[in-house]
Amino acid sequence: MSLPSKQQGLELKTLAMENARRSEAGGALAPLRGDSLIALEAAVFPDRKTEQWKYTSLHPLTDGHLRTAADGALPEPLPNLAAHRLVMSNGRLQEALSQLPEGVTLHRQAGQRDELLTPFALYNGAALTDAITLEVAANTEVSAPLHLLLHAASDAPAHCQTRVEVLLNPGSKLTLIEHYIGQGPVLNNAVTVIEARDNASLTHYRLQSEREDTLHISTLLFRQTGVSRIDSYQLMGGNRLRRNDVRALLEKSGAELNMQGVFVARGQSHIDNQLCVEHRAPHCTSNQVFKGLAGEKGKAILNGRIHIHEGAMGTLAELSNKNLLLSPGAEIYTKPELEIYNDDVKCAHGATVGQLDAAQQFYLQSRGIALAEAKRMLSLGFVNELILALPDESVAQWVQPWLAGELSQYPGANEEAA
Amino acid sequence: MLEIRDLHAAVNGKAILKGLDLTVNPGEVHAIMGPNGSGKSTLANVLAGRDNYEITGGQAILDGHDLAELEPEERAQAGLFLAFQYPVEIPGVSNMEFLKAALEAVRKAQGKEEWDSVTLLRKAREACKQVNLDAQFLKRGVNEGFSGGEKKRNEIMQMLLMEPRLALLDETDSGLDIDALQTVARGVNSLRSPERGIVLVTHYQRLLDYIVPDHVHVLSDGRIIKSGGKELALELEQKGYGWLTGEEESA
Repeated sequence: MSLPSKQQGLELKTLAMENARRSEAGGALAPLRGDSLIALEAAVFPDRKTEQWKYTSLHPLTDGHLRTAADGALPEPLPNLAAHRLVMSNGRLQEALSQLPEGVTLHRQAGQRDELLTPFALYNGAALTDAITLEVAANTEVSAPLHLLLHAASDAPAHCQTRVEVLLNPGSKLTLIEHYIGQGPVLNNAVTVIEARDNASLTHYRLQSEREDTLHISTLLFRQTGVSRIDSYQLMGGNRLRRNDVRALLEKSGAELNMQGVFVARGQSHIDNQLCVEHRAPHCTSNQVFKGLAGEKGKAILNGRIHIHEGAMGTLAELSNKNLLLSPGAEIYTKPELEIYNDDVKCAHGATVGQLDAAQQFYLQSRGIALAEAKRMLSLGFVNELILALPDESVAQWVQPWLAGELSQYPGANEEAA
Repeated sequence: MLEIRDLHAAVNGKAILKGLDLTVNPGEVHAIMGPNGSGKSTLANVLAGRDNYEITGGQAILDGHDLAELEPEERAQAGLFLAFQYPVEIPGVSNMEFLKAALEAVRKAQGKEEWDSVTLLRKAREACKQVNLDAQFLKRGVNEGFSGGEKKRNEIMQMLLMEPRLALLDETDSGLDIDALQTVARGVNSLRSPERGIVLVTHYQRLLDYIVPDHVHVLSDGRIIKSGGKELALELEQKGYGWLTGEEESA
């Protein structure tokens, strides 16, 4: 049933509030839940007229996804990308499957209240039943990567709240693989908050490889409260509804952020990336390179906002987003958005949407390579520079079959004209 | 092996080939010469199956296959190889990966045994050496940032590996200095065999000093207007094309 857009926003909010009041979690999470509920009450849920949501309909959520999911069955065997792994399933930590590396402590709590601006992040805070905060001790280099496996599964429409916060104390160093998997009509409403203090360094991966029938709304917040460096690599497949709000706050002079990503929307899948980098302090650097692909009826969106505050002199900020349409019915929307409030900045942005090159296709075909394979090779070639730049071997190994799956000929796709 | 009968072809709807006949037997090297715009490159591209190059009449038969009925990749699998006049750059796809995909597809279709990756790499290195191409080029993107001469040598390198039944070289000599020309010619000559046909499309006689053809044809306005032996090329070099086409050839 389709509701008028305004009404849909209100209905979602009512459902969210009811569910938040019903769900239970005690102890350490109570203050966050209380505050988030109050904030949620004042929040406006988006509808199709909301600018930031104009390409993404929340209609899939109205058929019951705002009910809390029961436990979901974990896949066998569990993906394993590093020596140490933490597993959350439908928002709850699976202690028996989790093992912490030395130098990292775990708390079953979450504290971030400010700076999470989206209603879904507030909803996450108001309705969560579990949460983890990982703290890396000061002056500690965690040598092996930490694999954070975030699973969501349900047979009936439902949702879960996944909440992870990471604090990198001064002088610490960590490689974190934030890996989403799951299946079924479940909405994983996730919030990840990462704070880096002075001289902290983080290599962050975000792998989104849930099955196509899942839904995913997430808010990722980077807070660089110290002179720190974050390198984030994001590899994202489309699903029934995927919405990533990524917000980076550069709050201390000298902080550096690099984000690279590949997103792919095939079949009927959807992926909406809303990036916002806020330069709040002088002499910070941000560099973003994203590549997108869409095929069949897939739809991909990237909105890249760079906000350079008054007083953030000497800012270096770059954003590049190149996209490839693989078939005539696919859609890609890309928009860089700059807001600059001082003169002493160096800021560059570029966005393109193109299609596969007919001359390249013919060249491959003339060497005996079938058209479908030629298209796959060219698609892979398009994103290859980002794939080759992945620094960790385990992720580089993971990405090959994932990308091969995302870029192989889509089952059911009609043979298109060359 | 290649039988072209009364071939008519159009490029983006414009008639270019207007009744072309050509027979290439195994073991023969044919040179097709002619002034600019006579249809030389069109012939090469029509045979290879490029988009918008459409056969509007007549036939081109390769070993019993009607080329018009085959996709470009099927023509390659049937043993046709086109060395491009302007090889395409494909950043992000390495030369080696490209060769692997091409040789897998072609050798499988031809019922030849597959090469494992060690064999492939060894053969590819040998082929590079044969055309004076550093083996480092195998790791680079296909033709990415290659100079004009490197691109042409890369074409010949591929041809050596693909072992085609019929090799078509579209102005492979253009843009080559004399050393590169000799290298390319050595590569082509090494492929001469009683089992294989070679068709050289060229504007100048120069290449034919190094790859001596059995037959020379002059193409003008979409038709072969004169055929002869290798001495015809020399005559053309002296007299230009004007004495055959009835027009003044500009320098």
